[in-house]
Amino acid sequence: MESFFVRYRNLVVLLAILLAQIIGLAVQVRRTGDGRSSLDPGDGPGVRLIRLWANALVSPPERLIHSTKLGAEHLWQNYLDLHNVRQQNQELQKTIDRLRLEQAALLEDAKQGQRLQALLNFQEKYIYKTVAAQAIGSSGSEQSRVFYIDKGSAEGLDRDMAVITADGIVGKIREVFPHSAQVLVISDQSSGAGVILETTRIRGILRGNANGQPQIVDILADKRIQKGEVVLTAGGDQIFPRGLPVGVVDKVVQDPERDSFIDVIVSPAAHLDRLDEVLVITSTEPRFSPEQQQDLATSEELKGAEAAAIKEQKKASEVMAERLPGLIDPNLPPDQQPLHDTSNPNPVAHPPQALHPDRFTPGADSGVAPAAAPATTPETKTTAEPDLASKPLQTKPAAPAITPQTKPAAKPAQPNQLQAKQPQKSQPQNVQPRRNP
Amino acid sequence: MPLLGADLRRDIEIRRYPVLAYGLVPLVALVLQAWLPRLLGRYAWFDLPLVVTVYFALGRRSPIQGTLMGAAMGLFEDALTHHAIGVNGVAKSLAGFLAASVGVRIDVENHTIRLVLNFLLSLLSSAVVVFVSRFLLGLDLEWSWYTVLFTAVGNSVIALVLFPLLDRLQVRD
Repeated sequence: MESFFVRYRNLVVLLAILLAQIIGLAVQVRRTGDGRSSLDPGDGPGVRLIRLWANALVSPPERLIHSTKLGAEHLWQNYLDLHNVRQQNQELQKTIDRLRLEQAALLEDAKQGQRLQALLNFQEKYIYKTVAAQAIGSSGSEQSRVFYIDKGSAEGLDRDMAVITADGIVGKIREVFPHSAQVLVISDQSSGAGVILETTRIRGILRGNANGQPQIVDILADKRIQKGEVVLTAGGDQIFPRGLPVGVVDKVVQDPERDSFIDVIVSPAAHLDRLDEVLVITSTEPRFSPEQQQDLATSEELKGAEAAAIKEQKKASEVMAERLPGLIDPNLPPDQQPLHDTSNPNPVAHPPQALHPDRFTPGADSGVAPAAAPATTPETKTTAEPDLASKPLQTKPAAPAITPQTKPAAKPAQPNQLQAKQPQKSQPQNVQPRRNP
Repeated sequence: MPLLGADLRRDIEIRRYPVLAYGLVPLVALVLQAWLPRLLGRYAWFDLPLVVTVYFALGRRSPIQGTLMGAAMGLFEDALTHHAIGVNGVAKSLAGFLAASVGVRIDVENHTIRLVLNFLLSLLSSAVVVFVSRFLLGLDLEWSWYTVLFTAVGNSVIALVLFPLLDRLQVRD
């Protein structure tokens, strides 16, 4: 027996090591309800310890390499390559000033939106606090698209926090260590994010394929989905806030397993292969920075000053209205005040009286001869005639002012009919004398 | 099992390295394997821990040492991923064992043999990973065969450059 182990010790050792690893694998895999196998999403204590050791061993050299690289870049960018920096600085300062004002306005809108959503009892996530982190390493495996960042639980990071860049979403935190964290990228096969196509409003689940491309799966074939359509987060996965850019549709392919379904390959907005600095969304609760609060206060002050100016103008107009009592009739409601009556913008035009009436004289065809013409000056006639021809409504207030015999018969009669239907239109007559005191 | 019984020849041709090299070289390989894909993106078609495992297994000509080194490197690699720990361990244990077993019988100084050996062991390692993941564990794991092929080619090319460099580390009597 001893000679057997001595003679085949190499093979025995190999089999023992393989057997131990296979037993370890069996412990980590569990059966799901539908009979399929899956990895336990939460690592056991032993597995987590191994990952912690590996991370503790690899992270320091990675940090060192990354720091060296950043130092070299910093040296080059900040001390050696300084062309046009002053001009860029001035332009950036202007941009900052403009953006701060815009940000204040947007914060106002966001606050209002949240109040409205609270009224509607609709839960929505907004990004309020992020932690910037540097990507320091990866898994080194094609089949495991994860990378490591230089911030961990000591900086407030936790599992399932969303990781983004300014361009779009990157992934979520899968494992947290004291001073580093493992991020699962959206291009990994085991990742998942709820997304929506911006134009067609089709929802789906985003996950990676074997080639490392994110794709939207479980979508029924739809010809409306075109290349270039923008993909956004849908907000239903409790990880990514709604509306963050994911990427654009690259191509649509047939699902190899199901005929009526398609896979939408997405070109990610964030450069997943060249990640350097990322943002981890650590809080979605309303929490404004001092700068944001200062901007908000400035906005409030500006808004208050504007409101005060409007109030002052309103008060001045009221004082003016009181000083000009002819413009206000206390017996009428506000919307029927003479100021609101636009039907009589001009002074009253008296109908001209013909010196020698004939059959063309207004009122002559009615068979009523004009009575004693009131004494009017020729200047009055010449100025009033064009108004009478072009604006018959303007004769309305004049009718009672002249004798009944001078009343026009045909068209000029319409204003009287209108006046009878709308008695409030006659009110200007009462205030008319006050206009020319 | 003549493969496992060539102790005399192994003792004659066995290579020795400084103790530090056994610790530092695998560690550098693991760190570079984790860091370089950040620079190269999807074109990181290599597996430095496998190359280092094959090198030491060939040089030491000890199947047990090759197996242990392969297991350690594989488990370490698995620990950096989010997959089950042990998949790469099994694959690299086998690769280390086979490399050491072959190294007893062939001339490992020959560049062509190094090239072919690394290519074949890379393919074998990938095949074992697929077998363990899909058949032993029953996991849904899609596979890109061109990536496997390119990785095997990349490992062979890297081995051609790396092996002579590592040869300089060996202790000569």
